[in-house]
Amino acid sequence: MRIKVKLFGGLSSQRDFSKNEEGDILLELSKPVTVAQLIELLELNKKPFIVVLNGVILNELSTQIDSNSELSLFPPIAGG
Amino acid sequence: MKILRINMTNLSVRFEELGEYEGLGGRALTSAIISKEVDPLCHPLSADNKLVIACGLLGGTAAAMSGRVSVGCKSPLTGGIKEANAGGQAGQVMARLGIAAIVLEGKPKEEGTYKIYINKEGAKIENDNTLKMLPNYDLVEKIKKEFGEKIACVSIGPAGEMKLSGASVAVTDMELRPTRHAGRGGVGAVMGSKGVKVIVLDDAGTTPRQPKNPEAFKDANKRFVAGLQKHPVTGQGLPAYGTNVLTNIVNEVGAYPTYNFKEGRFAGARKISGEVQAELEKQRGGNPTHGCHRGCVIRCSGIYHDKDGHYLTKQPEYETVWALGGNCGIDDIDKIAMMDYLCDNYGVDTIEMGATIGVAMEAGILKWGDADGAINLLHEIGKGSYLGRIIGNGAAFTGRAFGVERVPVVKGQALPAYDPRAVQGIGVTYATSPMGADHTAGYSIALNVLKTGGFVDPLKPEGQVDLSRNLQIATAFIDSTGMCLFIAFALLDQPETNQALVDMINAFYGWDMKDSDVVEYGKKVLKFERDFNIRAGFTKQHDRLPRFFYKEPIPPHNVVFMVKDEELDQLFNW
Repeated sequence: MRIKVKLFGGLSSQRDFSKNEEGDILLELSKPVTVAQLIELLELNKKPFIVVLNGVILNELSTQIDSNSELSLFPPIAGG
Repeated sequence: MKILRINMTNLSVRFEELGEYEGLGGRALTSAIISKEVDPLCHPLSADNKLVIACGLLGGTAAAMSGRVSVGCKSPLTGGIKEANAGGQAGQVMARLGIAAIVLEGKPKEEGTYKIYINKEGAKIENDNTLKMLPNYDLVEKIKKEFGEKIACVSIGPAGEMKLSGASVAVTDMELRPTRHAGRGGVGAVMGSKGVKVIVLDDAGTTPRQPKNPEAFKDANKRFVAGLQKHPVTGQGLPAYGTNVLTNIVNEVGAYPTYNFKEGRFAGARKISGEVQAELEKQRGGNPTHGCHRGCVIRCSGIYHDKDGHYLTKQPEYETVWALGGNCGIDDIDKIAMMDYLCDNYGVDTIEMGATIGVAMEAGILKWGDADGAINLLHEIGKGSYLGRIIGNGAAFTGRAFGVERVPVVKGQALPAYDPRAVQGIGVTYATSPMGADHTAGYSIALNVLKTGGFVDPLKPEGQVDLSRNLQIATAFIDSTGMCLFIAFALLDQPETNQALVDMINAFYGWDMKDSDVVEYGKKVLKFERDFNIRAGFTKQHDRLPRFFYKEPIPPHNVVFMVKDEELDQLFNW
C-alpha cells in the first residue's frame, strides 16, 4: 500500500525515505498500519501534535490508514 | 490616567479625568465611549462620529505583551461599532504619557491636513499641508526629521485622507516604520474625516506606570512570561515561523479559501507558506523572529527583504498572505510582500483589499493569479483614481459596483482566511460578532483546528455556538487589557498562566478580580457593542453569512455552513 506523508513546521524524519519533488515522503508498505505505527516508523525529530489524514483532523491515532492516503503532520502551531 | 479630547471643530484640546470610564481600557474603553457618546444613526464620516484611540489596562507598564492599541469609532464599512487594534509602540507611549484614550471629535471647519504633537507638556494641533496625500512611509520619514526618532506615530495614508472604507490607521513599530495597522472597518477613513493625518507621541521624560503592589506585580509578570515561554506555540511555533505558519495546516484541512471562497485548497500554498517565508527572510538578511513592540516575548513579527537584500516590508502576516495570495490564486511570495508594503503605505486593510481583489477577479477585471494586475489595482488606490476609490472602499462596495453576486462579507466587512464551511465555529464568529466578519473576535480555529484548549470538530455544527460565545467573551476582555491576543494560546492550555494575567491586573490596580469577573468584563464590552448596533438599526438578520455559504459545498470536504439561524440567535443570550 502507498502512503504520502507531508511534514510541516520543522518536522523531519531521521530516516532516508524516497521523496517527491515537493519533499513529501512516499512510502510503499507491505501491510496495513495505524497512524500511530506509521509515526513511529518515521522516526521524527519531534513528536507531531496535529495529525491530518486525508484532510480530516484526527483525535485517535489508532485509525487504520488506507492505501493512497495522505498523512500531514504538524508540531504545535498557531497564528491568526 | 486621563482622557485627551481633541476637538477638531474649534481646534482645542482638553484633558479630562476618566470618570465613568474608570476601570476600562483598550476595547472596553473605545466601545464604552462610542456607545455612550456617539449617535448610532450618525454618518460615520460626520462631525458627530468620534475616533477613540486607547491603550490597554496594562499599557505603559512593565507587563510583557501589553502594547496593543485599540482604535474605535462608528465604522464607515459596517455602519456599526468598530474596534480594531494594532501592535507597535503607540500604546505604550501614550500610556506613559498618562493618556488612557485620545478622542478625536468634531470636524475642521476648513479642510486641512493636521498633525497633532503630544508630549508630557500637553498637546498641540497644527495644520501642515506639506503632509497632504503622503503615503505612510514618506510621512513618517518627514515626521522623523522634524521630531527625531524617539517618538511613535499614529497616521493615515492617502486612503484615509480620501475617506475610503478600507482605510487603516498605521502605528509605527520599534524601527519607527508604519507597519502595524488597526486595519479593519475603515477606522482610517474616520481619522481622515477629522482632518488628522498624524498623531506624534513623544514620551521623553516619562517613566513606566507603577503598580499599586509592585512585588505582587513583578511576581505575576514573571509567572506570565514563563508560561508564554513554556507553551510550545507561544514559546516555539510563533517565534520560528510567524503567523504564516498557518498556511499549510489550514490548506491541508481544506479550509483555505481559494479563488474567492470557491475551493478549500490552494495548489500553490506551500510556495507562500510561513516555512518558505522564514527561510527566505534568513537567506536575504531579514529576520523571521522579531517583536512588533517593546515588551513582546512571543516575537512573531519579522522583517522581509527583497531579492537584493533590501528592506521591503514587515513579515507579511498569515491573513495578508492568504488574502492577497491564495484567495486571488497568487503564489508568488515576493509579489505578495510587495502588496503588503503597498497596503501599509497607502493605508488600507490587507484582508479587505485581498477580498476585494478576489471580487474584482470574480468580476473579470483581472485574471485569477495575476499578481502584477493586483499590484496595479493597489496603485490605483494610491493615485485616487475612480477605480482605486472603488477598490479602496472594500469588497461589498466593489461587488455592487461590478455586479458580483458572490461577495464574502458580513455586515459589509470581508471574511478573513478560514472558510466557514470547513471550520463551522469561525462561521459563527463571522456571523455574530458586532464587528462584522472578524476572526480575532472569537478565534475558534484554536480549538477547531489547532487543538489548543481542546478540540471541537470543525466540520460539524454541534458545539460551535457555545465555543464562539466563550471565545468572544474572553477576547473582549483580552482586547481591553492591551495584551496581544496570541497570549490566549497559552491561557487556554495553562490555567496558571491565565491566573498570572489576572494576578498582574489585580496587583497593578489593587483589585480583587476573579475568573467570574473576567467573564462579566467581557460580557459588558460585548453589551456596549451590541446595544450600539441595535440602536444603529442592526437586527438578527445581520448576524448571517452570505447565502452562498449555505448553498455551495466547498471542496474537498463538500460541506456547507450548517449552523442554524435560530442557534446563531442564541449566541448573546447568556
